[in-house]
Amino acid sequence: MGKVFVFDHSYCNGCYGCQIACKDEHCGNDWMPYQKPQPELGHFWCKMVEQVHGQVPKVRMDYMPIMCQQCDACPLVEKHPDVVTKRADGLVTIDPVKSEGMKELVDECPYGAVYWNDELNIPQKCDGCAHLVDAGEIPHCVELCATEALKFGDEEEFADEIAKAEVLHPEYGTKPRVYYLNDPKLFIAGSVYDPGPQEEVIIGAKIVLEDASGKVIDETTSDDLGDYWFNKVEPGDYKVTMQAEGFATKTVEVKLDKSLNIGDFALDKA
Amino acid sequence: MIKKGFGADKTVYDNVDWMGFGVGSNLACVDVKDGKILRTRPFRYDVEYSPEELNLYQYEKDGKVFKCPTHNLIPPTSAAYKRHAFSRNRVPYPLIREDFDPEGDRHPENRGVSKYRRISWDDATEIIAKEIKRQLDTYGPGSILAQQDGHGESKVVHPSHGCQVNLLYLVGGCTIQARQPDSWEGWYWGAKHAWGGEPYGQAPQRNLFLDATENCKMMLYWGCDNETTTWGWAGQLPSRMSFWFRDIGIYSVFISPDLNYSAAVHADRWIPVYPNTDLALQMGIAYVWLTEDIYDKEYVATHVEGFDWLESEILGGIDGIAKTPEWASEKCGVPARVIRALARKWTKDPTYTAHCNGGSFIRSCYSHEPARMEVMLHAMQGIGKPGRNFLKFIEWMTFGLDEINPLPSFEYSFNPMIAYNGAPNDGTDDFIPKTMTPQGLLADQDHKIDWHGHVICSLPAQDQFLPFEFPHEDGPSIHMIWSDTPCWSTCWNGGNEYLKSLQNPNLEFVLLQHPWFENDARFADIILPSNTRYEVEDVSFDSQSGMPCTMIHCEQEVEPYGESKSDWFCVCEVAKKLEELYGSTERRYADLFNRYTRGRDVEACVKEAWQNGGVSEHMGYEEWLEKGYITSPFTKDWEKRPFGFSEFADDPEKNPLTTPTGKIEAYSTALAENFPDDDQRRPYVQYIADSDRFHEYRESEKAKKYPYLLVSNHPRWRIHANFDDNSWLREIHTCKVIGLDGYAYEPVWINPSDAADLGVKDGDIVKVINDRGWVLGGVYVTERVVAGAVLQDHGARIDPIEPGVSDRGGANNLLAPLETSSQNCAGEVTSGFLVGIEKVDVFELAKQYPAAFGRTFNADEGVDIDNFIVE
Repeated sequence: MGKVFVFDHSYCNGCYGCQIACKDEHCGNDWMPYQKPQPELGHFWCKMVEQVHGQVPKVRMDYMPIMCQQCDACPLVEKHPDVVTKRADGLVTIDPVKSEGMKELVDECPYGAVYWNDELNIPQKCDGCAHLVDAGEIPHCVELCATEALKFGDEEEFADEIAKAEVLHPEYGTKPRVYYLNDPKLFIAGSVYDPGPQEEVIIGAKIVLEDASGKVIDETTSDDLGDYWFNKVEPGDYKVTMQAEGFATKTVEVKLDKSLNIGDFALDKA
Repeated sequence: MIKKGFGADKTVYDNVDWMGFGVGSNLACVDVKDGKILRTRPFRYDVEYSPEELNLYQYEKDGKVFKCPTHNLIPPTSAAYKRHAFSRNRVPYPLIREDFDPEGDRHPENRGVSKYRRISWDDATEIIAKEIKRQLDTYGPGSILAQQDGHGESKVVHPSHGCQVNLLYLVGGCTIQARQPDSWEGWYWGAKHAWGGEPYGQAPQRNLFLDATENCKMMLYWGCDNETTTWGWAGQLPSRMSFWFRDIGIYSVFISPDLNYSAAVHADRWIPVYPNTDLALQMGIAYVWLTEDIYDKEYVATHVEGFDWLESEILGGIDGIAKTPEWASEKCGVPARVIRALARKWTKDPTYTAHCNGGSFIRSCYSHEPARMEVMLHAMQGIGKPGRNFLKFIEWMTFGLDEINPLPSFEYSFNPMIAYNGAPNDGTDDFIPKTMTPQGLLADQDHKIDWHGHVICSLPAQDQFLPFEFPHEDGPSIHMIWSDTPCWSTCWNGGNEYLKSLQNPNLEFVLLQHPWFENDARFADIILPSNTRYEVEDVSFDSQSGMPCTMIHCEQEVEPYGESKSDWFCVCEVAKKLEELYGSTERRYADLFNRYTRGRDVEACVKEAWQNGGVSEHMGYEEWLEKGYITSPFTKDWEKRPFGFSEFADDPEKNPLTTPTGKIEAYSTALAENFPDDDQRRPYVQYIADSDRFHEYRESEKAKKYPYLLVSNHPRWRIHANFDDNSWLREIHTCKVIGLDGYAYEPVWINPSDAADLGVKDGDIVKVINDRGWVLGGVYVTERVVAGAVLQDHGARIDPIEPGVSDRGGANNLLAPLETSSQNCAGEVTSGFLVGIEKVDVFELAKQYPAAFGRTFNADEGVDIDNFIVE
């Protein structure tokens, strides 16, 4: 048991408060023996990453902070046990004195979470604001998260969330302690309408998503504006079938490597 | 004793907030160590009170709960403020323009061109005092224009809004630059005449969060970005509110040209609309309701006057054109089938419109029309009935009005404004509208300007009918400016015309006080270095964030930067000098410092705020200082308060509106009586686009040359023109686009299809150009803006290439029309106007304009102040 971060994509408003909070806490502030000051610019120990999904008018944003994943199997800890420490509470710290000159740590972190401080000649990264945690506080990034999308606490406290969460790059095998909920992945969206003589959206059309083998992945119906969405779709080849009473069924094939608005489809009268 | 944050020498409560006139919202704990700001944390309400004592509200729906947070939801700008507050762009000491000779040639033509040299406070205030006396002696009261209306920090003892006005009033008077309701133009000039809604022109907000929670099914965020506009003066509770609406199943539709920052995370459906064409979309919806007979006819019959005028306009009107969805689609770009579907859904599902002010919907040409048309749509769907209303995410409790608060009210309220040293906002007759300042600076007895209304936001609709002119009969023209508000060029209309008017030879002196060397400060003759909230002791209160009403004492955090003084102290220095030079010979200057300060020092002001600001009844002075804050509980039984407009909906006769008839006026009797010949704002809503006044529409001839409508809303990574030198924000990749020359350009959002037509890609630098000038911008190709529109936030720090013509910083207000929003409305048009986009080679431009491009800069903060100061 120990400390974890839990981030919920679905409550992040993309304000970058966590990224700014990290700078507020660390830039120019000396937290020895935990951390030496972060450079005023260029380091992103908590780095907000944003992505625009889709095309007009089916567009959404997704944001997520990426920081040191506080991995239980951190390769840096394994390789430099005298310099990089796995604390009892799960946080991973780099000794700011012993690490002097060890630029290789930057490349050894598979998550790219370690930054090089040229002026101080040391590698640096998020340590979960260990100086605050040891004082009974929470990391400053969590404190400034206005929507509680980013949380921090004891593992057992978040057991339910962790059971539903994912970790970044599980294939690295490093056992991260930062958990991500509700990753939106990709979407396929579109709309259906009756072309006329007066254009009308079609409400309640049955829309089926199948994979390349013909297996039904999801089903939905077009909404009051004639729109439909398939959310949390993995990349791959798909078939979208649009059926509405009185109209000929329409099928389109979709190659999905990014979120797609596949378009507005006029259904022919049956 | 305030509990110290980890590692801090001390912790100070402060209101890290901008734009307010005394009131604020971003309450924070500012930790200080070794004389520097260590960190900024959210203020906690539960340090001295339990949640029960505060009666924190809670909303429930379908087993879900929305709770009032126990801490303030400060925005990232509050935490980042220390980077701006102590940026390299601070004015370190008084500066005088090097070729400004108060006794000889003043070279007004070189404002914006020539550099500055250091001057002592003593010498600076002597020049200022002599000039004030000379102005008053030569021209009489009125030749000094006081620009005192924001934007700046929200403070009480040391406000950045109008300390100079009170001094000028004591020595003879001045002309006030009256700020119009720039954030809600259309509702002020239009909706007021349809449904009252004094003083805003918007709908009463009482308990609407409860109504929306219980009854609303669809929320139309119309031109609304409650993830951006709220940061300066309302915090981030609106963000949680929108997530709550999603969680309880309210269908969220965003209608705007851009996928704004709120739509990006809250939208179930984005309906892109061309800028300033919302009126057509609204009319298309009304057409569906009328022709399909699916509106609330009973409500209209009992609550609306003159509905047949609207009906006639929609079905044909004076232009003889039926406002069908197909017609609307041509104008606004929304497919006709979607307009029909949206109209039917609005009828079927109880629907709110939601607003956060600003943007093309309400700040463009003839903004009164979409605002009035929104009122008409609400009237047709029975506004005030359960789940049908108009919600604001901002400016709650403004003017202390509980009517403008969708959340629970407070048991008691605080208001330290008794100690306010800024300007009164009282509607003096000695004023010019802020939207007409460029013309006002050039006006004289032979070339008068005229308009209607005092234009300030706190006056009733009837005020809009009062005629004014400037100069007054036998009154002086403007010959001097004293400004604490150097963001005219970056935040108002027709900025290039303003910059040119500052070079006018009749303008003999431009005095400015400001912490940073930015924007209009580039055109001053003397700059006094004012400072920030961190450098002074003050008081503040928050009633606007949706949190419990709280009044805090703000200790001084750090020592003043350089020779800077607070805005109040800057004016005090001038008062002292006037008294020193002339106090013994002229009565109006005698005992001036004491009269100006009313004998109060800062401590006395703080105590005055405690004594008369509502605190002393509940807490002793020493206890308040010791605890640092006092908080009011929310009222009990707040759930029982009737929803805004619900009483009117229930019984319009017993609960009349403030319109002349007491009803919603589809035909405004007041407009008909007062402006019978106004064909731009008729008594009833009309479709209006290209006209003699404005050629800023896609159908305008000018669109062939400048085909894109510019969206310029409140900026995401600034608060208006504040923060543009904030390096932490500039690191966010959507904040700036770094050109090949290393300069950080203001982003221009361009849809991929337009980018392909233009032959531009991410990172290219382009001119945003029209016949009023050009500014540069960095291309950001994105699906977040509809084709046919481009987006560039307003408020980028100006970096003139040719003053009055072109700008490297991307301050696009320079390109906005100078004309006010309508013939009889002194509103601004700062979004939704035509521009062209032209790719440029910055190195070729550097050859063409070596002086401008030769200035040194940092990509993280912008142009260096050193470029402008000579040793």
